[in-house]
Parts: sequence; structure tokens; C-alpha cells
Amino acid sequence: MSRSIVVILLGALAVVGGMPRAAVPADPPRAVDGQAIDPDAELIVALADDTNNMDPRIGMGSIRSNYIRQVFESLVDVDAAGKPQPGLALSWRAVNENLWEFALRPNVRFHDGEPFNADTVLFNFDRMFRKNLDKWGIKDLPAATSYDKLYPTVARWEKVNDHTVRVHTSEPVAMLWDALGREPLVPKAYTIKHGIDVLNERPIGTGPWRMVEWKRKDSMRFERWDGYWGPAPLVKRMRFQTIPEGAARIAALRAGQVSLIEAVPPIDAAALGREPMFKVVSAAQKLGCRLYVNGRPRDKYDSGGKDGAFADGRLRLALNHAINRDAIIKKIFGGYALANASPVATVMYGYAAQEPYAFDPARAKALLAEAGWRDSNGDGVVDKGGEALTLQLHFPAKHYGQAFDEMTAAVAEMLKDVGVGVTVKTLDFGTLLQVLSKGTLPPNGGFTACRTSNSVDAEDQVRDWASLTLVNWTPFPPELLGLYQASRREVDPAKRLRLLADLQKQIRDWAPVVPLYQEIKLYAHSARVLRFTPLPELHMDFRGVALRK
Amino acid sequence: MRAYLLRRLVHALVVVWGVVTFVFFLVRLTGDPAAFLVDPTATQAEIEHTRRLLGLDRSLAVQYADFLAAIARGDFGQSMQTRRPALGLVLEHLWPATAVLAAAALLISTLGAIPLGVLSATHRGGWLDHGSRLASLFLQSMPAFWLGIMLILLFAVELGGLLPAYGSGSLRHLILPAVTLAAAPLAQNVRLVRSGMLEVLGEDYVRTARAKGLAERGVVYRHALRNAALPVLTVTGLSLGFMLSGAIIIETVFSWPGLGRLIVQAVPGRDFPVIQAGVFVFAVIFVALNLVVDLLYTALDPRVRLT
Repeated sequence: MSRSIVVILLGALAVVGGMPRAAVPADPPRAVDGQAIDPDAELIVALADDTNNMDPRIGMGSIRSNYIRQVFESLVDVDAAGKPQPGLALSWRAVNENLWEFALRPNVRFHDGEPFNADTVLFNFDRMFRKNLDKWGIKDLPAATSYDKLYPTVARWEKVNDHTVRVHTSEPVAMLWDALGREPLVPKAYTIKHGIDVLNERPIGTGPWRMVEWKRKDSMRFERWDGYWGPAPLVKRMRFQTIPEGAARIAALRAGQVSLIEAVPPIDAAALGREPMFKVVSAAQKLGCRLYVNGRPRDKYDSGGKDGAFADGRLRLALNHAINRDAIIKKIFGGYALANASPVATVMYGYAAQEPYAFDPARAKALLAEAGWRDSNGDGVVDKGGEALTLQLHFPAKHYGQAFDEMTAAVAEMLKDVGVGVTVKTLDFGTLLQVLSKGTLPPNGGFTACRTSNSVDAEDQVRDWASLTLVNWTPFPPELLGLYQASRREVDPAKRLRLLADLQKQIRDWAPVVPLYQEIKLYAHSARVLRFTPLPELHMDFRGVALRK
Repeated sequence: MRAYLLRRLVHALVVVWGVVTFVFFLVRLTGDPAAFLVDPTATQAEIEHTRRLLGLDRSLAVQYADFLAAIARGDFGQSMQTRRPALGLVLEHLWPATAVLAAAALLISTLGAIPLGVLSATHRGGWLDHGSRLASLFLQSMPAFWLGIMLILLFAVELGGLLPAYGSGSLRHLILPAVTLAAAPLAQNVRLVRSGMLEVLGEDYVRTARAKGLAERGVVYRHALRNAALPVLTVTGLSLGFMLSGAIIIETVFSWPGLGRLIVQAVPGRDFPVIQAGVFVFAVIFVALNLVVDLLYTALDPRVRLT
């Protein structure tokens, strides 16, 4: 069997097929799980914030995704377990190492009737890669993901027929289906005709919900899109209501003025869960919070001639063994968080479980000693050559929430317990970004921060140490960079999964960061809400959700 | 009077120009918005590209010249976070949400304070006075956040949804946030009216009015209150400024889509155009309020002359 055929066959393993569905769905059911439902009801969902934008190119953070993905869909969808599913593409496959093919779902229309087809996809790829913008008469804009810079090996894309699109790359890009496939797609004719400001203000997608009203910082109203290609939503109307304060969201739920709330504070979850009128559900998320430390070589930042103090892997490993994650998760997060030693979130494609970093202060001290750091003067801080080991911990207060703030303080104390001097430098998130983008983190600097992902594939998270970025302060050594690049090039799914597992193991042992916790997000809803299943994604999916009569 | 108004107008323009100029340079000292807009795994090249698109790669002098030319046309640029015109965004949060909330709270805190303060002064040492002072102390001491949550729990949850727990758009929605926002200024005004009334009730002209046989109600409300109200007017002007710009806690607790939250979110996000437009609007409001208060002084106290 030739290599190309193997590639095609194995590439097809990534394909999850599905039959085209009727554009006009059958009448929605009147009962779910044996309970009569109210298909004309309004589902009111309380969220902590409003979205800044609806045009997905502007940005897709955790708040924004919730809004954007109700209206827009991407080629690749995900199921409740976070597994890739057919979305606007019925299937995708590597035709050969440098060619990917997406088979598009037929009979799909945007909310204004514009058909979805290969031209739509090519137009969206043009926008993503900042190609032909003049030709289409649309302006460029600052975007969260610069595909042209992130995937420079994507050479061109072409229409095979109305429902088939091919993407050519100059070298193998194994996760191309994910990289391109998770971007929500916007209509071509509507965007060209009205411009991206109108698209952002009055979005038109192919999703199950049509946006009908947007009151900034207040609410967004949706109506069921009766022309949806999939099963129609089970409620006619839906409203996303902004309620920033957690206690106020819970009060609104108790008052029966909303049906479902997100981001339930862990401290309230147990009490709500005990009440029969409410149900508390949770899902592990891709958000991982970490302690990053400076291990950059002196020529890779504004160093004043000094290598990062944590370039020695034994130091970083020592920091990892100094942290009592179980205590943090139990005491601060009420059990609603995960300890994960892998650089990849547990819910991502390609995740491989790794041996936890045991809480072992003795081992931490031994590792420090092995690296030459001992407490020679008895002041409780280890030193070497007359210089104490201190960490200037940059801490973005009030950015990630109260639990994160408490956790950072706990981490600082745990590090002190093994002999690392810690100076906590509280600053706002913007200032931290400034420090990171300018490369002015001190040689003994570090910071606590969280990182999430819009992707399904593990590549998005193991990429963190491949090139110098805001969060990369411990660049891959050559052998790990080589392994990472191999995993990126390997289009054979089985081989690639093995490479990814090996890479995660090696990253775990090399310990570029101190993983602290992985988020579990909590939701609560009234007992009237049926079949709500939270996703390990940044958004909620209401396609199968019903309201009991 | 015309010369006075003209002078104040020129003065206002200078103040507003000074404020926006100060903010223009200050926000640029605080950080780079490009880093906010890109993914945390963005490289320096991606950040630079974003800075170019935002026009932040130009010299500060060029940016400032463009900024002044643009605001002369009423153009504060596009919000970096939302890609919408910044001034429009600020104005649509100011009106109606913030303006209506501030006006309602101002009405409650001023009109409520006058009878309570007068009653407290005219019944000095009695149970009404003690009760009023105790209530004022209580209202001033309570954090707005706590008071808001308590009111929600009482009126939206315990009383079976008598009032909405969140949102805006109707009189019912307005009651709880307006009462919460008005609580502290109301208490302050009650104490001011009380102390002002106590001071003027002992004045000769009040004694004269009584000696002339005027009804006590007329003495208190027509003669004494008019003079006692001057400090309240000053404080009310300042309170309105606070209510317009500092209602962030109330907006957060009651999900009120006002200007406070917009600006407070724009600051950490380094959304320069929104910050600049917001500060400009606040500066104009404060300058206008000061002028109105000064003019009202002349109406209430003929001894005051504007020169």
C-alpha cells in the first residue's frame, strides 16, 4: 500500500460522517423525556457579561463564544464530550500530506436565505488569512487569531465543486481540520454588501438561532431559525440576559425570572443543588491556570544580560512539587477544579493523562539542593553563590475572579515553605500584558495566568512553547521542538496521537510551567429546563434544550 | 450676565480640552491595547500587525494631532473592543439608562430629604428626629452592594417577584436600583437639611416672620428652607456627578446597562477611544452641572451676584 493511500485511509479516521438533513425540519416535538414541553416558551439564560462583538473574526473569548456560536456555525462541530462532529462540513480528510478536503453540508442557508456553499467557505478563508480583502471590498481588522501568521504553510484553497473545498499546504499540517474548521463562518454576499460593521451589529449566520435584538450590556434576544438544517430548537425564543454579579444571578434564578445561570460560584453550588426546584450541572473546561516563570535565555527578552532564573528544569520541577493542588482545589474551589499535569486540557482531542506532580516539599527541597540552591544562612530562603532564590510573582488581581486571587496567595505561601523567596507584585491585567509583550519580565520574574482555547485539538495547547509569545517564557529545547514539529506534521491520526502523548509526557517532565488547576464551570437551572448538558467548550448549546409546560 | 456666560463657556472649553488631553496621554502610558486583542500565543509580529491596524505605530504627536482634529468633528474613533463608534457607544449608555437612573435617584435623594430633614429639625430631640438620624446613619453606613442584594432578595425573591431582580426598561425595573443609588445621598441630604434648618430657624428673620403671624408651615418652608437649601444644592450638584459616573456597583448588581460599567470595563481593556469619549462626556456634564448650580444660587439667594 503506498504511503499516500495510507495517509488517505488513516486521515479518514478523523472523519466523522453524517447524512445531510432536511432544510425544513419536521414539527418540533411536544414532549421530551415523557414530559410535556412548551415550544413557544422563552428560555432566559443569565450570563456574567455581554459580548463585545458578533463578528467572529474580531475575537472569540469565553464570553463572546457563547453568543457568537448560537448564530454562526463552523465546519467542525463538537458533541457534549468535546469530540469533533460534522458541522457545516459533513466530513474532512487528508487527501495527501499537503492537501485537505472538506465535504460541505448541502441545503444549508443563512438566516437571510443566502445559500451556504464552497464560495462561502473560500470567502471566509480569505478573511481569515487576510487575502483578497480589496477584491471583496472589506476592511482588515485587528483579530484575535492571525491565521496568516499562525499557519504560514497554508498555501491556497480552492473550490472543487459547490460542496467540496480543498486546502493546499506547503508542508503537512495535521490539525488543519481543527485550525480552520472551528472558525464560525459568515455569509459572503451579506458581508460584502453591507460591510463588516453591519455584520458585527446585525449578524446573519446558519445557526439554530436568529439574533433579533441586541441591547448592549443588557440582553440579546434570539428566535428559533425555522430553516435550520438540523433539528429545530425546542423553544421558540431565547434571551441571553447580562447579570454580572453572581449573587444577583442566583437571586434571579430563585425568583423564577431566569431559567438558567452560568458561572455559579462554587460556594453556592452545593446549597442550590440540594433544592429540588433547581439542578446544578458542571463541565470541565479547557481553561488551565498556571504559574509561568522566566526561563528564557538572555537574548530572548529584555534581560540586562541575565538568563531567566528558572532556566534550570530542576527548579521548575521543585516548584511543581511544592504546590499542594488537592488542598487548593478542595479549600478554594470547593472541589470544582481539576489537577492536570498535562499541558493539554483533559477535554481536548489528543489529551494524554500524565503522572501528577506529587505534593512533596522534601522532594522539592532536594531538587533545589541538587541544582545548587541551599539555605546557607538559615534565613529560610535558599541561595547560591551568595544570591537568594526569589520569585517576583506578577499577579493580575481581580481579573480571573476571587478564587484565582486566593489561589495565587496560597501558591506564594507554599513556595515560601520550600525556601523560595516570593515577592508578590500586584498589578492589573493590562499592565501584565504590557510587561509580557515588551519582554520586560525580570530574570527572576513569574506570573499567574489562565489560558483557554477555541480549538478542539491538543496542538493549540502544546504550541505554547514553540515560538516566543506572551505566555512562552520557557521555550522548547531543540529535542522537544523537534517532537512538537513532528506531531504537527504527522497526518496519520494514530501515529499523531502517539506523538502527542509522548510530547505531553516530555513536557510534563521538563515542567515549563507550574500547572495549578483546570477549570470546572458550574451552571444551575430551574427544574423546568430539560436536557441541558454543559459542554467542555467556551459556549453553551441549546439545540436540544426544552422548557417543561 | 451674557459676558459671564461667555466667560464660563470659554472656561469650559479650556477645561474640557485639558481633560481630554490629559486622558489622551495618560491612557497611552498605561499599556498597549494590541496585546489585549490578540491571542496569548500571539507572536511579536502579530502584535505589531495589530498595532499598525489600530494606528498605534504612529508617533504620539501624530496620534494627538489626529485625535484633536477628529474630536473637533465629534469623531472619537471606533471602540477597539467592539468596533463601534466610541462616542455613540458612550451616548447610548448615557441615555436613557444612566440618565434615567441618575435622575430618579436624584429625585428620591433630594425630594425625600427635604421633608425628612425639616421634620427632624422642627422636632429636634423628639422620636422623629432620633429615628431620622438613626436611619440616615444606617443608610450612609450600608455598602450599596449589600443593600442592593438585600432589596433583590426581599422584593424579587421573598415577595414572589414583586419587583424584577435585574434589567431595565420600565418603571418597575427602575425602583430598586434608584432606591439603592439614592440611599447614601438621601441620608447625607437629610442631615444637611436638618443642620441647615436648625441654623436658620434661630435667625432673626424667622422670628420676625413668626411675629408677623405667618403660619408655621409658611415660616418653615418659605422662609427658612430657602436659606437652608443652599448647601443641599451644592451637594446635589456633586451627587448628580457621582450618580452619573460612579454607579458602577448599582449597575453591576442590578444588571443596569449604564455608562459606569462601560467605562470601567474599557479602562482595564485599554479601549482608548471609549475611555476618551467617556471622559469627554463626563467633563462636559460636570462643567455644565457646575454652571447650572451657580445659576441656581442666584435664583435662590438674590445676594449672590455672578460677575
